[in-house]
Amino acid sequence: MTKTIVLGVGNPILQDDGVGLHVLEALRERLTNPKVTLETAMTGGMNLLDLIRGYEKVILIDAVKQMGSHPGEVKRFMLTDLPTVHSCNPHDVSLSEALQLAEQLKEPQLPSSIILIGITVDNTYEFGEHLSSTVASAVPKAVNLVLEELKNT
Amino acid sequence: MKTITIDPITRLEGHGKINIFLNDHGDVENAYLQIPELRGFEKFAEGRRAEDMPQITSRICGVCPVAHHFAATKALDAAFHVDPPAAAKKLRELLYTGYIIYDHILHFYFLGGPDFVVGPEAPAAKRNILGVIEKAGLDVAKDVIKHRAYGQKITAILGGKATHPVCGLPGGVSKGLSKEEVVEIKNMVASCHTFAKFTLNLFEDIVLKNKTYVDLIQSDAYTLKTYNMGLVDKYNKVNFYDGLIRVTDQEAQELEKFDVKDYTKHIAELVEEWSYMKYPYLKSVGWNGLTDGKTSGIYRVGPLGRLNAADGMATPQAEKEYKRMMDTLGGKPVNSTLAFHWARLIELLYATERAKELIDDADITSTHIRNPVGTPGEGIGVVEAARGTLIHHYHVDKKGLIEKANMIVATTNNAGAITMSVRDAAKGVIHKGHVTEGLLNKVEMAFRAYDPCFGCATHTLPGGLPMTVNIYDHRRKLYKTFSQP
Repeated sequence: MTKTIVLGVGNPILQDDGVGLHVLEALRERLTNPKVTLETAMTGGMNLLDLIRGYEKVILIDAVKQMGSHPGEVKRFMLTDLPTVHSCNPHDVSLSEALQLAEQLKEPQLPSSIILIGITVDNTYEFGEHLSSTVASAVPKAVNLVLEELKNT
Repeated sequence: MKTITIDPITRLEGHGKINIFLNDHGDVENAYLQIPELRGFEKFAEGRRAEDMPQITSRICGVCPVAHHFAATKALDAAFHVDPPAAAKKLRELLYTGYIIYDHILHFYFLGGPDFVVGPEAPAAKRNILGVIEKAGLDVAKDVIKHRAYGQKITAILGGKATHPVCGLPGGVSKGLSKEEVVEIKNMVASCHTFAKFTLNLFEDIVLKNKTYVDLIQSDAYTLKTYNMGLVDKYNKVNFYDGLIRVTDQEAQELEKFDVKDYTKHIAELVEEWSYMKYPYLKSVGWNGLTDGKTSGIYRVGPLGRLNAADGMATPQAEKEYKRMMDTLGGKPVNSTLAFHWARLIELLYATERAKELIDDADITSTHIRNPVGTPGEGIGVVEAARGTLIHHYHVDKKGLIEKANMIVATTNNAGAITMSVRDAAKGVIHKGHVTEGLLNKVEMAFRAYDPCFGCATHTLPGGLPMTVNIYDHRRKLYKTFSQP
């Protein structure tokens, strides 16, 4: 079995920004496979790289904003599909950049597959622990998508 | 000059935005920076248990959780009328040096340095850490990764948890240091110190020995004569963790020095209608619009603000570098925005020297690390975040719940200065309607020098620095738009 980690990424106190963390909590109740590590990350870039070292397969769950999308859509991306996924603010590098750096340095423990389950969001600039109703209703779909991903593991 | 009002509809959500307005010759008439500001902190904090604030506020930002953690913890010390034991203060400060070490390394090598190492007008795809490696070599990259990780490890050992510390309590800290941990930290600090010196040498070779760069640093487009602000110790030397807030003027003379508990007597905040940003200014000088000079209350914080606001560094090697920088760049205060990068590296060296002093202190393994708290009330705490002065202010009721909360973050303190720096750089590099990605990067360099933090927000696709630059012609028609990357 492939060594897998599922990471919910986000900020727990910026409303929809924390959707990845909400999805991860919901997953804990549904997932029984002890070989899959479930973890939350309230950070990005280089710190995210520290968390995924040593795993072969990585599934990131995160809030995304995308031109032309409506809040509450759930999408699957390969990290390589994206030019960059920036981390949580401009004072850090993107995970893609961190990974490229690690590859250049020939780090031995890098994942072979990184998938991003993205939930499109709206309100991320006001403090609050709750999701907007549109985004909250997308959580079950995101959970199912992650479980589907794990089937192929 | 014509007055420009930006339609509030263009107010931005999710992205930083620079709007540049050209006149009918195609030169820059004005430029505005807008960055999203997080809203609703006050309401969010109301009714929460005061002792939860250090944990909650450390979530505000994934990059500077340590700064928020301790600004909050110090506000609680004051609110609960308790002075932590000497050992607890030293443990907090040692943890803090770990944060400065990783944060400043990250900024120089990943964010600010590429403009110099690779070149300000090099293709965007090269202006990053990978471009730096190409030039400086893989061994340097390995050292960057290693020492950034050491900084993180130091904060994790002392903070009880990686990235988000959980050790700060009103009256002290929850965790001391074992003898084994002392040895581990000592070794990491020694290595970081060597690396800090190496980095300053690299800066010397790549930047200071290159006349083009020195001219760029000292050019008018990147010069701003504001007041400067930072925490200082009792000898007026830079301190990140504690001290009085000192403000110096355009001749490097002290304008005022105050305890943070009096900050509302010294700092006021102005809200501009075209932006969510607040512009803090010095009350004693007053608001005079987005302009520099003696009659404008705008000030700068962060590495250059701190070095200008102090009389020097508290450790010998950093002090030597401090003097060298001031001499090289024409004396104090240094008003060159791009000198933030140099100041940052001097602070990196200071952090490693200060960490060594603290880890060698006999007190550091003391078990007396917390004093009992008194009755709650109002409390204000301040620290120097990597990017500048950070203030937390709480009113705590008798049950220990937050009644009222306020916060001034570093990037807000710098808001006026950053806006002006962006405008002046735009005026300096864009002429006759000629705009290229490389020239715009030179505008962004003015902004990047401050190491601004937009607060922790969503991944935007496609990613990169979440920044859009709009250029309007003299009829206010959109002429060009650039998005990063």
